[in-house]
Amino acid sequence: MKLDAPTTARSRASYIDPAALMRIKNLELRAKLVVDGFLSGLHRSPYHGFSVEFTEYRQYSPGDDLRFLDWRLFARSDRFYLKRFEDETNLRCYLLVDLSRSMGFHSKPLEYDKAEYAKTVAATIAYFLTLQRDAVGLITFDQAIREYLPARYRTGHLHRLMICLEHELAGTATDLGLPLEQVARTARKRGVIVLLSDMLAPVEMLETKLGYLRSQGHEVVVIRILDPAEVSFQFQEESMFFDLESGRELYVDPQAARAGYQERFTDHARALARVCSGLGVDVYDLTTDGPLDLALFDLLNSRMRRGRQVARRRRVS
Amino acid sequence: MGVLVPLYLAGLTALSLPLILHLVRRTPRGRQEFSSLMFLSPTPPRLTRRSRLDQILLLLLRLAALALVTLAFCRPFLREAASLSFADLTGKRLAILIDTSASMKRGDLWQQAIKAAEKQLEDLNPQDDVALFAFSDRLRTIIDFQKEGAAPIPDKPQVVRNRLKALQPDWSSTDLGTALVAVAGELDTASDVRQSPLEPQIVVISDFQGGSRIEALQSFEWPERVPVVTLRVSPTNTTNAHAQVLPAEEGNELADVRVRVVNAADSRGDQFTVEWSEFVVPSSGDKATNRLKAERRTDVYVPPGQTRIIRLPRGPDSLQADRVVLRGDDHDFDNTFFVVPPRKLEATLLYAGRDAAEDPEGLQLYLRLAVANDPLRQIEVRPLDTMKSLTAPGDSAPKMIVVSQAVSEELRTMLTKFVEQGGVLLLVPDGDEAATSVSSFFDDVEFARAAADPVGEGESRSEKYLLLGEIDFTHPLFTPFAGPRYSDFTKIHFWKHRTMTLKSPATTRIVARFDNGDLALFERSVGKGRVLALTSGWQPADSQLALSSKFVPLVGALLDLACGGTEVAESVAVGQSVTLQSSTQPGPIVVHTPDGRAVRLDADLSTFSETDQPGIYRAKVGSTETRFAVNLLATESLTAPLDLEQLEQRGVRIGTELTRTQRIDRVRQQRDTELESRQKVWRWLIVVAIGLLVLETWWAGRAERKITS
Repeated sequence: MKLDAPTTARSRASYIDPAALMRIKNLELRAKLVVDGFLSGLHRSPYHGFSVEFTEYRQYSPGDDLRFLDWRLFARSDRFYLKRFEDETNLRCYLLVDLSRSMGFHSKPLEYDKAEYAKTVAATIAYFLTLQRDAVGLITFDQAIREYLPARYRTGHLHRLMICLEHELAGTATDLGLPLEQVARTARKRGVIVLLSDMLAPVEMLETKLGYLRSQGHEVVVIRILDPAEVSFQFQEESMFFDLESGRELYVDPQAARAGYQERFTDHARALARVCSGLGVDVYDLTTDGPLDLALFDLLNSRMRRGRQVARRRRVS
Repeated sequence: MGVLVPLYLAGLTALSLPLILHLVRRTPRGRQEFSSLMFLSPTPPRLTRRSRLDQILLLLLRLAALALVTLAFCRPFLREAASLSFADLTGKRLAILIDTSASMKRGDLWQQAIKAAEKQLEDLNPQDDVALFAFSDRLRTIIDFQKEGAAPIPDKPQVVRNRLKALQPDWSSTDLGTALVAVAGELDTASDVRQSPLEPQIVVISDFQGGSRIEALQSFEWPERVPVVTLRVSPTNTTNAHAQVLPAEEGNELADVRVRVVNAADSRGDQFTVEWSEFVVPSSGDKATNRLKAERRTDVYVPPGQTRIIRLPRGPDSLQADRVVLRGDDHDFDNTFFVVPPRKLEATLLYAGRDAAEDPEGLQLYLRLAVANDPLRQIEVRPLDTMKSLTAPGDSAPKMIVVSQAVSEELRTMLTKFVEQGGVLLLVPDGDEAATSVSSFFDDVEFARAAADPVGEGESRSEKYLLLGEIDFTHPLFTPFAGPRYSDFTKIHFWKHRTMTLKSPATTRIVARFDNGDLALFERSVGKGRVLALTSGWQPADSQLALSSKFVPLVGALLDLACGGTEVAESVAVGQSVTLQSSTQPGPIVVHTPDGRAVRLDADLSTFSETDQPGIYRAKVGSTETRFAVNLLATESLTAPLDLEQLEQRGVRIGTELTRTQRIDRVRQQRDTELESRQKVWRWLIVVAIGLLVLETWWAGRAERKITS
């Protein structure tokens, strides 16, 4: 029932070197390695239901189930109150993994691209949650939805998930709206949605989609995976820049274009952060040269904050 | 060193391409893949001084390869011989056809044509042969080609030039087809027979007007080796129209004259006037005042390429007008259309008798009435009183004398002389004394003096009446009545006549007898003229003749006999022949042309074919004069230009006009082509270019490797 303190874990010095980790071919093994050390835990459920832990009273209104009526309180105060309990359910988590061409970029000296990194992060989270007996679903997408696995907890589900993740990159563009819509249509029960993408797409339409998910009660975490070169734009020689997604070519002199690039990049990041914070969505940036466990910490961090909010709400009530 | 197709040297401009590419388009060496260009903006490529000097060897290789390929396309060759002279040209056999049809009279067309022909002559080489033909509706050889075996004409072009100056366009129509066929056939055969190296060629100098006939080309297979060069001469002003009088309906010739006005298709004007006119010879004899007397004008509007038919009746003043004149266009050659006018005959008739001119019982009054009011004749009836009036029969001299009184010996001599010179004498004795003198003209006719006759000596007074019983309708007097509708003379009663008897052998021709067998009318030719005698008069005392409808035509026929007929033959076009036949008087035919020439036809000929100009022709056969109008053929007036493609459609091989220099250029080009095809320098150039390109590829590959490493 208690969460580990992720902040303390994140401050640990001994991360697994991502380069070394990526050399392991098997995705499942990589995930296992990252998750190693984490034990199965319990999460606070956003649902009220039958459980041991009482949350609140609510006045009876006709049609309510009489089984939850607090007969003792009725005897004491001659008033009808329903007892509400915190449900202790398993978490439903959807991993939305962007596998568009832009995710295939990697700068030197890294030997793995952003997609590989994202897959590993996804696999790690899936493995971690499966260990906790939580249901994990997967959607991979580019400009269309490529794979869809509903959130399940059953034998072999993790393996299927790993296989889906192994698929090659395709597509020419990134449409972040589609997978979000898909989740909104299929996930009836509230859960956690983790979006793994470089977010190199216009932010404007993201706002409505994320807002819709949030309104359905889902908890959304955006993990933004970036190459270090994308952040710093440390290219030296002028060359033809080739857009991996659209195939467009552009002659760019990095010396001249760097300042402009960084400015626009920062603007985009800011716009994204503004949209997400407005909706109560957490955004975490991961660069592909950073340690993988951080992703897990980020997720758990997000979950814990959510837990605190719930706790705070309970205290208020 | 020369090139066959210098046009391809323009390909050398392609050399600038690699130059520009080397200078400007510096593609960056590296290619950087990037996740997204959404945060990037293009930076313009910077030209550095270093980049201009980059890869000079590669540039030179590329330039050289391109230059060699361009040069190979130009087909270069090494020239051997020096420049050509005019003597190196193959000779040509040139036939110059010059149009002399009437349409060439327009504007300065003829001068243009002469100039064009002279230009052709100037362009001749000494080895060339030339012939000059003129064509209109027929082909005339002015100067022929040099005959085989004949001595060459020294300085033939000059001879041709001289003959050319003597040529003038005539009035004929244009038959281009026949002329071309004849000359082409001759050229082709001549080339075949002589195996001559001379190239045949026809140069046609003409206005190629739309009315040219080219039908003859239809059935002719054009010889492939004879090209035709067409030199069109065209006038600056093109408005041309012509008027043509259409045949009138029978019996209404004077009132109903229809004129067709045709405007050529390329005319600019459309407003014309048409009028009758005639040539007036002033009495004073001043030739300078000879002029066309214009009659009433009629305006007519004819759009270009169209035809209008208008009515142009002859007014009272224009009865003698012999031409219709159109005005308002630019060219006069076809503006006059000649029509034979009905002739106004002026003649004098002498009468010798006892009766007065106004005596209703006499002969003279009826004679005067019969010849008056004749639209075609103006007959003056004068009494025979002075000897002066009996001169030789001329225009103003009397043509006919009617005698009813007794003839004295002196008068008889004079009358005989008059008849011998071609006059006509009619004896109508009004009494016995006069009847007796008939015998002095007819030696085989005797006045039968019947003593038993109580009425008078020799005069048989019928209780009833006599009719004309036996009429010789072949006689010119009665030919107008020969038809069954007019041959009925039974309405005319004769009460009184002088009985004449015919002695045998008789030389007198009996023209008519009464129904009792007595002579009524008889005739004898004396010299050029004739003497007629009528045994009964036309006055009411003798007969009903003067009151009958036959009298006026009969007097008319008599006058025709005296003055000669006014026959009108069909109008023909220039160049067509006219058949002239006289039913009455055989004899040699003399034709007077409009320009005053007199053409005498052979006795056995009755066809006149020298109709070489438009106008009114007069043909005289004996005393009969036949007139006919000769006009331009209507097609000659269609002056809109002929589409020369029509010649090509009929198989004519149209060539282009080449000057000597152009021909030399052509020969030089031919030689160059041969030389080039023998040397084939271009192959070597291509081989070297390929070699250079291989070298360039290798060099470029090396440079690339160096850069990437």
